[in-house]
Amino acid sequence: MRLLELHRVSKHFGGIRAVEEFSLEVQAGEIVGLIGPNGAGKSTLFNCVAGVFPPTSGEIVFQGKRIDGRKPWELCRLGIARTFQIVKPFASRTVLYNVTVGAFAATSRLAEAERRALEVLRTLRMEDKAHVRAANLTIADRKRLEIARALATRPRLLLLDEVMAGLRPTEVDEMVAVIRRLRESGITFFVIEHIMRAVMALSDRIAVLHFGHKIAEGAPAEVARDERVIKAYLGEDYGAA
Amino acid sequence: MNASPATPSPAPGRSGLLQRAPLPLLLALAFALPLFVRSATYLHILILLLLYAYLTTSWNLVGGFAGVLPLGHAAFVGIGAYTSTVLSLQYGLSPWIGMVIGGILSTFVGVLIGLPTFKMRGAYFALATIAFAEGLRVMVENIDQLGPFRLNGPRGLQIPPLELGFGRFMFAEKEPYYYIILTMLVLAVGITWAVSRSKLGYCLAAGGEEPEAAQSLGVNVARVKLVAMAISSFLTSLAGTFWAQFTLYIHPKSVMSLDISFEIAFIALIGGRGSIAGPLLGALLLRPVSDFSRIHFGDTLPGLHLVIFGVVLILVMLYQPRGLQEPLTRFYRRGMRRLFGAVEGG
Repeated sequence: MRLLELHRVSKHFGGIRAVEEFSLEVQAGEIVGLIGPNGAGKSTLFNCVAGVFPPTSGEIVFQGKRIDGRKPWELCRLGIARTFQIVKPFASRTVLYNVTVGAFAATSRLAEAERRALEVLRTLRMEDKAHVRAANLTIADRKRLEIARALATRPRLLLLDEVMAGLRPTEVDEMVAVIRRLRESGITFFVIEHIMRAVMALSDRIAVLHFGHKIAEGAPAEVARDERVIKAYLGEDYGAA
Repeated sequence: MNASPATPSPAPGRSGLLQRAPLPLLLALAFALPLFVRSATYLHILILLLLYAYLTTSWNLVGGFAGVLPLGHAAFVGIGAYTSTVLSLQYGLSPWIGMVIGGILSTFVGVLIGLPTFKMRGAYFALATIAFAEGLRVMVENIDQLGPFRLNGPRGLQIPPLELGFGRFMFAEKEPYYYIILTMLVLAVGITWAVSRSKLGYCLAAGGEEPEAAQSLGVNVARVKLVAMAISSFLTSLAGTFWAQFTLYIHPKSVMSLDISFEIAFIALIGGRGSIAGPLLGALLLRPVSDFSRIHFGDTLPGLHLVIFGVVLILVMLYQPRGLQEPLTRFYRRGMRRLFGAVEGG
């Protein structure tokens, strides 16, 4: 089943064409990776899907419904949640409070929301930090908190924007395991990731963005062999090798 | 996934309980106070203290929880005062009913101000609210007659104490006023407490701290701020009616002055905005300063209290940016722990 469809999505900022006619389909239960050099337009594309701003043209369809131009909180209620590349915890509040805000998306009762939040924290093995202030978390835990909050909203599709950046190798492995476990529970993932080892291991399919254009799409191994991708990442000289 | 047994959560409510333990005591003390304070002057000062605690508590729903800094709440005090007074003077309506009507009117106005201004950030929002409140004051100062309603411009309205009694919201003694404003304060604190433990409270706090993140978690930040503004302007407006009935004379410079808005903000910032105890603490500390500076320096140095507040505010912001409630709660908790052993944690 197609969960998310992007049809020729473009986003222009004045004269800058950040994303140009990008099309992609994400099937329910898949993990799809989005990679590309810095400034390729990945986050812009994410922001279009997450409702931060509408695309300049093109259609975004979620579960058969047009969603481009919808606001972030509406998308959340439809089942799309996201994390932020630059983490945005409610720093003065505890971890539990942070996650409870997310859980309130599905209920109005505090007890119910807190129960749900603790459940999510247990899934992510963070329950021991429930009463720690978010400001005092390590970067790895902050990234985890981003996921926990998003999960608490009970999403069908989770957009992860570089949740591995800044993590140590062991922490990356843990995060990969966490995302796999979550996929088993039925959540679909669309992830931006710079750490190749992680995105190659995780993704069923990968799309490559370069200067706003999709230059490749396919299974991780295919993409890794693709000449245009190698050029985009390593420069022209490597192409001939 | 296998169902994991419910592990005991580390009791988030316990520290709250510890804080609430002396509440009945404090409340009993507050209700008994007029039995000991026989001087009308001191009772008057206490009433104003409670009035400002009430105003700041009402303000705190927006200014504290929603993370914006409204500086125009005097407008709602004015609307409340003028609505109930005009209705009572011209139509003989009980000020109690006028109070509710004023509240509804203020709610409406509050939402109307909130609609465009909540999109603004930081200082721009504060300035917009000042502009609105000042604009309203200047308007009232220049209007003698608004349709059927007599406002009397800068001369204001005098309420002749012809008929005393609860129904007329008018008393010869100060004690009834004391109990009314105390009850109002208790209710406002109760509402604040309920909001802080509700979905609305969580959404407000989240939207105030990281609006983008809050939106991505399903919070319509602008809407929850409007709801908070509605509650806040309603409650603030009730204080306006109280003010009118307590002083029996209102004019734009008294019930709509910028000083009120500023003093509320000072009390909240120094006491600790966004906390329940902050406004109470702030009023308790600052109101006496304000009154005594007016009594002793009212002629020679008018506005001295605002200067003192400014200095105190700078010091508090430098050393306790979350307000004085924080070190005091910490101190208090430590004391409780020493008295009753390690209740927390473990």
